[in-house]
Amino acid sequence: MATSAPPYPIAGGDGAPRPNVATGDRRLPAVRDYEQVTREITSVLRPTVAWFIGLSIAILFMLTGAGAWMYQIHEGLGVAGYHPPVMWAVYIVSFVFWVGIGHAGTLISAILYLFRAGFRTTIYRCAEVMTVFAVMTAGLFPVLHLGRPWKFFWLIPYPHWRWIWPQFKSPLVWDVFAILTYLTVSATFLYIGLLPDLAVLRDHDTNPVRKKIFATLSLGWRNSDREWRHFARAYLFLAALATPLVLSVHSVVSFDFAMANTPGWHATIFPPYFVAGAIFSGIGMVFTIIIPLRKWFGFKHYVTLNDLDASAKLCLFTSMVVGCAYLTEFYIGWYSGNRIEHEFWWNRVFGQWWWAAWIMLICNMVLPLSLFSQKLRRNTTWLFILSLFINLGMWFERFVIIVPSLSHEFEPWQWAGYQATWVDFAILCGSFGWFFMWFLLFVKQLPILAISEVKEIVPPKRRQMIAAASVGVGGGD
Amino acid sequence: MSATAEPDAPPARGVKRRDFLKILGAGTAVTTTIGCSTKGVGHLIPYLVSPDQTVPGVSTYYASTCRECAAACGVLVETRDGRVIKLEGNPAHPLNRGALCARGQAAPQGLYNPDRYREPMVRKDGKLVPISWDDALHLLAQKLGELRSRNQAAGAAFINLHESGAFPGFLDQWLASYGIPAHLSFDPDLPSAVLAANRESYGVSWPGLDFSAAKVIVSFGADFLDGWGASVPQQLDWADARAKLSDAPRLVYIGARRSLTGLNADEWIPAKPGSEVMVANALLGAFGHATSVNIAQAAAASGVDAGALARLATALTQSKPSLVLAGGSGADALELAQAVNAINQAAGNVGQTVNPAAAITAFEHAATYADVRELADRMRRGAVPLLMVRGANPAFSTPPAVGFPAAMAKVPFKVSFSSYPDETAELCDLVLPDHHALESWGEAAPIAATISLQQPGMDPVFSTRQTADVLVMLAKGDPSLAAKYPWADYRSWLISRFPGAATGFTNALTTGLAPASAAEVAVAKGSSGTPAAPAPAKVASVAGAPMEQSHGDFYLVVYSSPVLGDGRGANKPWLQELPDPVTKIVWQTVIEIHPETARKLGVEAGDHLRVETDTGVIEAPAFVYLGVRPDTVAVALGRGHTAYGRYAHGVGVNPLIAVPSSEDRAGALALTCTKARVTKGADHTLLVSTEGSARQHGRGIARAITATELMAATSSGAEETAAARAATAPDSGTGGGDGEEEMPGDASHKFLPGLRSPVANDAQGDYGDTASKSLGMYAADHWSGMAKRRWAMTVDLARCTGCSACVTACYAENNIPTVGAPWQGAQVLPDHTGFGANILRGREMAWIRLERYFEGANHEDGRFDADFETRFVPMLCQQCGNAPCEPVCPVYATYHSPDGLNVQVYNRCVGTRYCSNNCPYKVRYFNWFGYGESDRIQYAFPEPLNWQLNPDVTVRGKGVMEKCTFCLQRIREGENRARLEHRELEPDEFTVACAQACPSRAITFGDAADPRWSLTKLIEDRRAYHVFEELNTFTAVVYLKKVTHPVPSAPATT
Repeated sequence: MATSAPPYPIAGGDGAPRPNVATGDRRLPAVRDYEQVTREITSVLRPTVAWFIGLSIAILFMLTGAGAWMYQIHEGLGVAGYHPPVMWAVYIVSFVFWVGIGHAGTLISAILYLFRAGFRTTIYRCAEVMTVFAVMTAGLFPVLHLGRPWKFFWLIPYPHWRWIWPQFKSPLVWDVFAILTYLTVSATFLYIGLLPDLAVLRDHDTNPVRKKIFATLSLGWRNSDREWRHFARAYLFLAALATPLVLSVHSVVSFDFAMANTPGWHATIFPPYFVAGAIFSGIGMVFTIIIPLRKWFGFKHYVTLNDLDASAKLCLFTSMVVGCAYLTEFYIGWYSGNRIEHEFWWNRVFGQWWWAAWIMLICNMVLPLSLFSQKLRRNTTWLFILSLFINLGMWFERFVIIVPSLSHEFEPWQWAGYQATWVDFAILCGSFGWFFMWFLLFVKQLPILAISEVKEIVPPKRRQMIAAASVGVGGGD
Repeated sequence: MSATAEPDAPPARGVKRRDFLKILGAGTAVTTTIGCSTKGVGHLIPYLVSPDQTVPGVSTYYASTCRECAAACGVLVETRDGRVIKLEGNPAHPLNRGALCARGQAAPQGLYNPDRYREPMVRKDGKLVPISWDDALHLLAQKLGELRSRNQAAGAAFINLHESGAFPGFLDQWLASYGIPAHLSFDPDLPSAVLAANRESYGVSWPGLDFSAAKVIVSFGADFLDGWGASVPQQLDWADARAKLSDAPRLVYIGARRSLTGLNADEWIPAKPGSEVMVANALLGAFGHATSVNIAQAAAASGVDAGALARLATALTQSKPSLVLAGGSGADALELAQAVNAINQAAGNVGQTVNPAAAITAFEHAATYADVRELADRMRRGAVPLLMVRGANPAFSTPPAVGFPAAMAKVPFKVSFSSYPDETAELCDLVLPDHHALESWGEAAPIAATISLQQPGMDPVFSTRQTADVLVMLAKGDPSLAAKYPWADYRSWLISRFPGAATGFTNALTTGLAPASAAEVAVAKGSSGTPAAPAPAKVASVAGAPMEQSHGDFYLVVYSSPVLGDGRGANKPWLQELPDPVTKIVWQTVIEIHPETARKLGVEAGDHLRVETDTGVIEAPAFVYLGVRPDTVAVALGRGHTAYGRYAHGVGVNPLIAVPSSEDRAGALALTCTKARVTKGADHTLLVSTEGSARQHGRGIARAITATELMAATSSGAEETAAARAATAPDSGTGGGDGEEEMPGDASHKFLPGLRSPVANDAQGDYGDTASKSLGMYAADHWSGMAKRRWAMTVDLARCTGCSACVTACYAENNIPTVGAPWQGAQVLPDHTGFGANILRGREMAWIRLERYFEGANHEDGRFDADFETRFVPMLCQQCGNAPCEPVCPVYATYHSPDGLNVQVYNRCVGTRYCSNNCPYKVRYFNWFGYGESDRIQYAFPEPLNWQLNPDVTVRGKGVMEKCTFCLQRIREGENRARLEHRELEPDEFTVACAQACPSRAITFGDAADPRWSLTKLIEDRRAYHVFEELNTFTAVVYLKKVTHPVPSAPATT
């Protein structure tokens, strides 16, 4: 993956756009026509040996996590590393982590769509798929962290003959709403965007069963002008609907902490801080996924260095927002004049938890500063490595928020430490297995690049070329 | 029962008449046989025909006597449906006046101990195997017969755990009838030297001690709050004395280690071990006695500041009366006790604070360690043909250097009457398990002129027999003795000698008390009518003491655990899991070492220390403790059992391994008699401790006020003037911990109205609007009447000693599981030995815990500083009016009851644990494992421990949160009782388990909305405060500041 393009294009050379200018009229110089788009994007849908190996590994991880969960249900939560008063730990950390991962997808697919940011075109499908699966993964954790997970439905307001409702003052109930809403909207958004692509698959697939499935899923898409008009409107409305969710869902998640009185949690900065962190972590995950994908699937001429460059700038920006939030938190901790806050912050950054805090600060605040260098922004190896650091750092950000705060609260007699057990790690690994299992299944069934949107930026065909083409009249063409 | 036994139903057709009769006959025979046996009969409910006055679901109380230590407090045994479920102090009992210590509370776990002998055992092929009672008695009768026929009876011996009352006399009589010498009444916990000196000085072993009357109290290692003497009454008196606040006596503690008593002292004079007697004599010199030691010499010998001793001497000579107590377990304990008695005599305390006329008689006629050691010598010579042991466990509680187990091997036939498989019983040839005290009849003589009766609370749990009955049976079976034993059993014997016979006995049982007959009083008072005035003792030269000659750089202090005693508490999980009041260690033995020394040795807490004496080596993790001298290491007794059941076996280290067998001149074992070489070991073990931070970081959790500040604040009048505030403000640093800005003596009453207001106003958010019509059950006029009440509690820190009896009382009342046993957390930390693994993860379940915070002596370099203060805070659910835990629970599992409680609906809880995260007091506890499920390895109540479970309280399931709810079951019981009797609740009609047990009467429970409850006066106290009131939690627990009495001339010398 050590592909590194020259930082500046030769001035006025082949007419390529300047790399550091994100522009609406994107061009993919190596993509000549619609047929090439369809051919290349659908060609990767055939399963390969490497894919099977990857899927097996993911399923193995998932099964490990599932086994650990079964063990935990049978034995009790004590097999996880909880150390009162640290009553929330790896599971809630992972919950917030995965919800955060989801946010970049919606940001890229919805907000950047509304802003007409061209570099989004080639990465948005990947990000959106990541969103849905990340939210699906995140949704597992609030259930599996329960003492009695088989009673999870008590958090859902359903009519009950005893008139027992959830406590609507509890942020955990808000979480239920936020996560379910987010899952619904992002899944719908993904599906609507898939419609024209499903029609392409229907037209090109030879397997009658798959053809039938794609035909059903594409809702009879005929590529008519009316359909396109409605599609565009629907997509726009859904983008508008999804946009506030980017802000609200992680704000609600942050309320789990901000609404509590725990030092380190009880801060008004949390909603914006969490949203920025979520987007930052999501972009990190997008890099983690898209950089190997574009290499393995040969999509380097679709997901260009320009796209990555522009995304890296977004990453840098959110990193600085997050860093600003960190510093603000430290400052307010000092400025509060509250001795309990002082001691807590000292303990978090220089005391018991210094290692976690510095992993967070270095990964999220210091390392992304390298993206000021265009050379590094266009160095996919560095971007990939950096993205792993960002994932690590963002997981630790949530760890640093949750565990040190709980371990160093008001009551000194109940100050404690925390050490995760193998069950925690198995379930954490299981969540990655679960996520990548779905993702890998997706990439071999459905196009990971949006065929229809890529075609929008490929130069349209002239009539004579259509006439000359031997390709049949495809619905999506 | 047999009527229900249908034989297997044969096919409908083809039952022949003869077959039917055969089956019927066989079936009847089988069921009859089973029905006649006491085993194997399952009772769904214990009573087929309920005895009179027994109502299912309502407790029956039997007045009885606690036998967990020699003091013999009165208890009320709470039974439900024929099973003992809890012990409560007997309010009518003159000794403990309704209070009960942790060890007493834990007695039911001895009764239901799963490792008790379930039937008699006999040694066959080297192993103890069950035997029938008839055969066992026959075997013993045969052995006794042989003994007599061979004329060896005079060599036989009987060791009984020391007890007062009728049984020792009965036993001696029985022994005499076989020609066996009188028994040894042994209790290793008794301070024999003090008993001997007292007998010499006052004619009684234990004069009444009046703490309240004293102006200054000096304790030479007398740990009167740790189990020295009669713990509960001493604690009650001490707390009453401290409740005098600014007039309370100052306590000066002299000793090398600050025990719980030492931590309660206002001043610690850290005298070198073995030098206490010099200090005592120097003080005696201050009264004009000719002693060979002056203050300067004593200071030099004991390594303490001469100024402090001189100040103490002045205080003693000027404040009269005073009270000086001798304790310690050094080689010169007798001389120390004599010197102390002489000081009391010289100071005119005898008759004032030391009252021989109001003696505690429970310790009379106790044998000493020397008696047991001599017996061991005789056994080793083969001169003992028969050894009988009951209650005592000399194979464990004597130093291995004596070789008691080896000596036992030389005895041809050993009989144990122990209920438990302890070290001694495991070496015996025949075990005739005794009833537990709660299954036995008996009487104790704890206090002059009073008999405390003991009656069974229930039928025996196992096939055991009370030893006294066994003795009667043996005698009746012996033709030559039968005539002397006309009584059917021991109870008949008790009744026969009781004034008023059966009627008098039955009547007396209702209170559990009877006046002792005059003759017995005389016996109890001892033979000598007029004791000689105590003479000053000769002072042994410290330099010449054997201790100084032993090898090593450190003094080894070995002390009796305030929780486990000499080790007899170790088989009760409640006591194993009760944090030591000083070290807060559970399920583990630690070696206490001062930070300065630890630094020198390069030792961190948990690093192993090897303590090597001329006698032996012990290795245990280090506990870094401010309260030991830098040249001293201290280890508690009580753990390190090699037998004694699953909860005791293999837990901890027995420090007696390193203690040589040496005696003081009264015959007591000198525990602190040797120096030791201390080196750092290779291992590291995590400390199984419930302690988080030992400092409160100025957070005002445990607040204190000095006596002078309190006086100044009080004298300035009820109305605080600005001048008074200004005058008292500068000293405020001592108030709420380091650096806290707090008005001394200023109770912030601004929040207390919230406590008294109808709870709905502050608790229920939207309902706070009284004009709202939707107050529902929170409305004051709701038919339930619940909203009229606000249950609340005060905790007087001036009284609280940190003894932790409340903790065990809470375990007993609320079915709290113990979680620290090795197997309960083994899978959590697989790389660890498993001991207390759950505790290492902070998962103890104590709904009420004793926080122990140190103030002062907080030096970066860890240098020795004796001037630190300790504050104990019982921390339990504060039942906040505005509770942070309530709104965050997504399923309403915790909500606010109209009478002001944060109730927890266990059945509704899904276990998000958010409530605990949001609780500033951290008083919510989560069921990490299925502690209440009998098929799990973590099961906390293995059969028959589960018989103790309080049927009024749920045993919580896996995955739910639990917490204190102010003994809700007791509140509802009281309310229901009042309703059934068509009346209102009487003020102070009932109380919660912790308050009921509290031996310092620090906890008061009541209805803050009803001014008739005594609690409402206490919350008006000037010392009242809430913990974390700045969080607007409107708690229902009000703490009253501790009152300290610092060194008068030198405030805050550090």
